[in-house]
Parts: sequence; C-alpha cells; structure tokens
Amino acid sequence: MLTACSSMVAPKPKDPEALAEYNEANDRFEPLNRKMYDLSVKVDKYSMRPVAKAYVWAVPVPVRKSIGNMVRTMNEPSVFFNDVGAGKPRRAGDAFVRWCINMVAGVGGFIDVAKYAGYPHHDNDAGLTLATWGVESGPYLFLPMMGPSSIRDGIGYGIDQGLSPWNYVPRGYGLLTFNWAYNIMGVINARADHLDDLDQVQRDALDPYATIRSAYQQQRKALAQAIKDDHRATVPDWYN
Amino acid sequence: MTIRASRRSFVLGTAAAAALLPVAAFPALAAQPAAEFVRSLGNRLVAIVNSNLSPDEKKAHVLPILQSDVDVDAIGRYCLGRYWRMATPEQQTEYLSLFHQVLVNAITDKLGDYRGVSFTIGTTTPQGEDQAVAAVLHRPQQPDAAMQWIVSTQSGSPKIVDVIGEGASLRLTQRQDYSAYIQRNGGQVATLLAALKRQLAHHQTPSAN
Repeated sequence: MLTACSSMVAPKPKDPEALAEYNEANDRFEPLNRKMYDLSVKVDKYSMRPVAKAYVWAVPVPVRKSIGNMVRTMNEPSVFFNDVGAGKPRRAGDAFVRWCINMVAGVGGFIDVAKYAGYPHHDNDAGLTLATWGVESGPYLFLPMMGPSSIRDGIGYGIDQGLSPWNYVPRGYGLLTFNWAYNIMGVINARADHLDDLDQVQRDALDPYATIRSAYQQQRKALAQAIKDDHRATVPDWYN
Repeated sequence: MTIRASRRSFVLGTAAAAALLPVAAFPALAAQPAAEFVRSLGNRLVAIVNSNLSPDEKKAHVLPILQSDVDVDAIGRYCLGRYWRMATPEQQTEYLSLFHQVLVNAITDKLGDYRGVSFTIGTTTPQGEDQAVAAVLHRPQQPDAAMQWIVSTQSGSPKIVDVIGEGASLRLTQRQDYSAYIQRNGGQVATLLAALKRQLAHHQTPSAN
C-alpha cells in the first residue's frame, strides 16, 4: 500500500529553486495525474474528439450556439446558489434574472435574451465559492475524462451536482430523457468548444500536461479573484 | 420635485449615453501612454489581419511590428526561468534566437483565424512596474475574448512583455511548460534547445504542403 502511494506522489526536491518550482506547480500527485492525463487523451482521441469534430461538421453554428445557451441557462440555478453562497447578491440577482428571462423569452434557454437585456453570463461553481471563503485549492488533480481540477474544485463539483435542481424534479420518462439528452449534448458541445484550443496545446506545447495544469490553475485563481473583487451594489447605480 | 425628477432623468440619460459609447471614445484614456501604445499596436495588427494580403504577405508585414513593439528577449528570458542562469552564454544566444522564431510562428499562425476582428481598449491598471491594459477582442461568430496586455517601459520605450487571456499569463504558462519539459528530460537546457529545433522543423514541414 505504501509503495503504491509513494509511486503516486511526486518527491519534494531539495534544491531551493527546484522546490519553488515544485510549489508553484502545486502538483503533489503528479505521477498519478500524468497517468490519468495520458489515459484521458488516448480515450478522447478515439471517442470525444471525433464525435466533437463530426458535431462541428454537421451542426451549423447558430444551432450549436443555441445548445450552448440552453446548457448554460440550465446551469443558472447552480450559479445563483453559488453567488448567494459567495455573498454576492448583485451577481446572484443577475443569475436569477438570466434564468427567468431566458426560460421564458429565450424559449427554454435556447436564446440568450438576457445578454441583450444587460445581464451577461458569469461563471460560478462551488469550487469558486469555497475559494471566496478562503478555502485553499489543495493539490492539483487531473480527473479522468473530466479534466483539470483540484481537491477543492473536485469537492465543489460534487456540491454543484447537489445544487442542480434537476436532481429534485419528480422522476419520470420526460425527465430521464431530458437529463440524458441534456448531459450528452452538454458534454459534446463543451468538447466542441475546446477543439481548437486543445489541438493547439497538443501541437504547440512541449509538455501539454504542464501547460494545461498551469493555465487551469491561473484561470481558477483569476475567476475567484474576479468574484471577490465584484463590489457592485445590489441596487442599481442610479438609485444611490 | 420637478428638479429632482429632471436630475434623475439627466443622470439616467447620461448613464445610458455612457453605456452606448465605446470606452475608446473617452479622451481621458487616450492620454494614458500605455493604453495609447496598445491601441496603436492593435490598430496596426487589425489592419493587417483584416486586409486581403496573402498569409505570407501578412506575416511579412507583422514581423517588423513584433520586433519593435514586443520585448521578445525579455519574454524569452522569463520563459526559461531558473534555467536561464544555468545556460552557457552560447546556449542563451541560441535559445533566444530559437525562441524568437517559435514566438513569431505562434503569433503569425493565428493571423488567419482572426479575420474580421476588432477590439476595444478598457482601463489601465499598474501591475508592479508594468502597466496592464485591458482589451476586449470582438471576433465574428465567436464570443468576445477579454485580455490584458502587459506593457513595460524598462527598455526605454513601451513594449509588450505579456498577454493575459482568461486569467492565464502566456509567459507564465510557457515558462511552466518549458521547465516541466526540461525537468522531465534530464534537467539540461540542451534538451530544450533540441526540442525547440524539432518544433521549428515540424512547423516548416506542414506549411510547405
């Protein structure tokens, strides 16, 4: 058991500069993560990537955009609860209004009407909410088939599943069908959105794994900081 | 009451007008040298990207702009991180020459993807000794991309030393890529140089097709 564990954990370097680099990478479980990464890339190459390519080839841009909008709108309740959790009422209000407008005027979320009404989409998830509470990310993780994450963001993903209202709607064939279609379309659509980025990383990076690790951790930090820095008042500006 | 109401409608009217104006229209921002520098650089690049020139001609036009407005040497040194000091002077010179070509390829490869692009300059914030100029890139059929251009004046004139897209610094990401590669391949700068040469050779083969 001990040997199995030690082969998953990267040894700490002694040289101070190498140690600084090791700390910056924040990747204690690098050997295990790299295995998961290699496996994911291999599986992706023969499954999701061709599917996403075919999807982009077959489905015109406006339809793909609508599906993207729908997936995003359906996730809006989770964004709302996280905005509340992060103590950002203005953001929560934006998410709530987006949900209401897009579900009604946007025909079930397929058209992002709210964007034109002055409520652009913003991201939030439980990993980021925990970050605004001061929870450290913990070591980097590469989850098989799911991609870059961290201990905190992995826990956040679990919380987000609980925050999604679709888990509380009475069971039935309608919901089952919707859930399958929604999840499958969401995954394909999300993979299609990243076709060019991921191809480019594979082509241009000397160590694609390290490049993705670096970009992911920087982006998560920036997103959490953007939420922390959002001090807009709850009431409209003109009211003050 | 009437005064209050008219004041409010004035405020509302001004707010609405301000929201409709692109940020670039504010004269106060034009006075900032860093923002003005990025705007001028952006305008020149966008003019080339949106022109009807062939890809090779576009590349030829972009090269002098990159040489004058981007501090490629400083970015290269940053990307090599702690290995810069470990490298011999010859390796440093060779690395910088390779890095120039890699960076130019990375930028010029993208020129074709950005046809019909336009941009808006936002606020400038100090970042250490440098200035971060926010910009939003508008691309047809694609969502807007927010980015920050980091401008340094350490070399005497303003130069770009980094671009931050979606929260990720390009030079930091590149440094972590290089350091991971060196570290996993024997810890020698020579292996990186060999890899960069291979990368450049690969790059030339497909473009010949």
